[in-house]
Amino acid sequence: MVYRMIFENIMHRPIRTLVSILAVAIEVGMVMLVVGMTHGMLHESAKRVEGVGADIMVQPSGASLFLGMTQAPMPVKIADRLAEIPHVLAVAPVLCLLNTQGRVDLIYGVDMPSFDRVSGGFVYLHGGPFTGPYSIMVDDLYAKAKDVKVGKTLNFLNHNFQVTGIVMHGKGARLFIPLATAQDLTGSHDKASIFYVRCTDPGYTKIVSESIRSLLPKNQILSIKEYMSLMTSNEVPALNTFVTAMVAVAVGIGFLVIFLSMYTTITERTREIGILKSLGAGKGYIIQVILWEASLLSILGIIAGYAGTWTVRKFIIATFPTLPVELTIHWALWAGLLAMGGSLLGAFYPAIRAARLDPVDSLAYE
Amino acid sequence: MLLSSIFLTATENAAEPARHIGSMEPIISAENLKKTYRIGKVDVAALRGVDMAVQEGEFVAVVGPSGCGKSTLLHILGGLTPPTSGKVLVDGNDFSYMKDAERTKFRRHKIGFVFQRYNLLPTLTARDNITIAQHIQGDGFNPHRFEAVTEMLGIKSKLGHKPYALSGGEQQRVAIARAVVCEPKLLLADEPTGNLDSENSQVVLTMMRTLNRDFRQTILMITHDADAASVADRIVRMRDGRIIWD
Repeated sequence: MVYRMIFENIMHRPIRTLVSILAVAIEVGMVMLVVGMTHGMLHESAKRVEGVGADIMVQPSGASLFLGMTQAPMPVKIADRLAEIPHVLAVAPVLCLLNTQGRVDLIYGVDMPSFDRVSGGFVYLHGGPFTGPYSIMVDDLYAKAKDVKVGKTLNFLNHNFQVTGIVMHGKGARLFIPLATAQDLTGSHDKASIFYVRCTDPGYTKIVSESIRSLLPKNQILSIKEYMSLMTSNEVPALNTFVTAMVAVAVGIGFLVIFLSMYTTITERTREIGILKSLGAGKGYIIQVILWEASLLSILGIIAGYAGTWTVRKFIIATFPTLPVELTIHWALWAGLLAMGGSLLGAFYPAIRAARLDPVDSLAYE
Repeated sequence: MLLSSIFLTATENAAEPARHIGSMEPIISAENLKKTYRIGKVDVAALRGVDMAVQEGEFVAVVGPSGCGKSTLLHILGGLTPPTSGKVLVDGNDFSYMKDAERTKFRRHKIGFVFQRYNLLPTLTARDNITIAQHIQGDGFNPHRFEAVTEMLGIKSKLGHKPYALSGGEQQRVAIARAVVCEPKLLLADEPTGNLDSENSQVVLTMMRTLNRDFRQTILMITHDADAASVADRIVRMRDGRIIWD
């Protein structure tokens, strides 16, 4: 009976119902998309590093895990010393550059022969390797997002680069230029910011890591497995704070809209509450009715939020292929719980207020 | 089973005098009942010492001009509001000492209300408006009682309609059904014909008379309509918060 009454109440005020559902859906969508995009970018970035095919990465101490950036790149000749370590198959020096023209892009300056040895070589979808110092290769996702074709000229770091190849994504960065050009552009001659080390067998990773550590005690030496485990939002400065703030804003929106919606409902339905009281409905019954109504609105909003998030994700992937959105069951549940919690909290005061209404005053309410 | 017992009672009672009252304790007993409202900084005395007793099975009409305290008396007797002072016993329970929750529980099981403006829940059908009373009472849906009441009030064909699709008379009959479906000890009616035309008023009054006569339903009805009051067994006249004639 209570459920029928709640259902009829919800159907009786379609605009209020729609606004409430939309607010909860936005709340769920915001939580899932913000978390999905931040985690998606992190994981996608990590997977690209994993996709290089190395077992160990060597960086200067204090280098950024996320972008591989450093203020003090290492001499390239270290690669020769690393290559002499037993069980090392190949070493690829990479200089990371950050293009900030228009948008932020990570560019890998690579030495093609060594990078091919470590990674097993690029898969060319169109075109081929560098043909000159100002050649550039882009991955397929970047090409799709920016409508880049082989032969097109792209401007990075205030220089024009000609696209010579479009490669399969997943090898460290989306943009690749010759290592020497990268060194010239940054004034870091014979320097590299990362050495990707591939062992003759992944089982030697620990032994090789220890050997590198004794050779370069001041450097940051991580196996790719360790790197993957470290690539969490905790490692990116202020990212967790940003995510928490966004989640708080989303929950706040849901809370306020449900609060306002239920508060308005109580005012609108004062007389009806008086009728229920005249029939002997106690405070618990009234609170139950209000909270169930908020819960139902919240559940509908959560379902709409899930559907909306899935649709937006599809749109983002189609429109911005380089922007990964990682939706997980874990965060979907969290988003749902937060929305439900916010809604119940928002409905609680109106419910208490309704329960405390004087029946005589309520029945006289116009 | 209950349906047959209801009609058996009705048949038996039809042969008896309408008022089956006498030696037992009154169902309503009020002594020096006072109620003062505070409006802004001014105290307004709505009841100034009411003494009355109503026996079980009685049909009492309370009449008087607007503002004489009729509705306040009804609200106190229905446990909707406590008295400021005095004693009020309803079915042996002293409302003066009962907390709000206790009065609510008492109201749930013992009292039915009929209001001038019908006060049906607008989003529910007539059927749901009636069954919600049983739901709130907590004893679950009683199909026999429901059938008997809706049959007697002639609203069976209107049960699927929402209040906006019912005439005033039909709405009031649904409200009466809701009020009596839980077999309350006391039916309190606040100007039940106040919003009805004379034809519908007569129908509603006849229903109430039938409920009283055939089902021995105790009724206390507030009205300012002399014709409506005339269907009651007893008329109590109020003025300025006091009973001036009984």
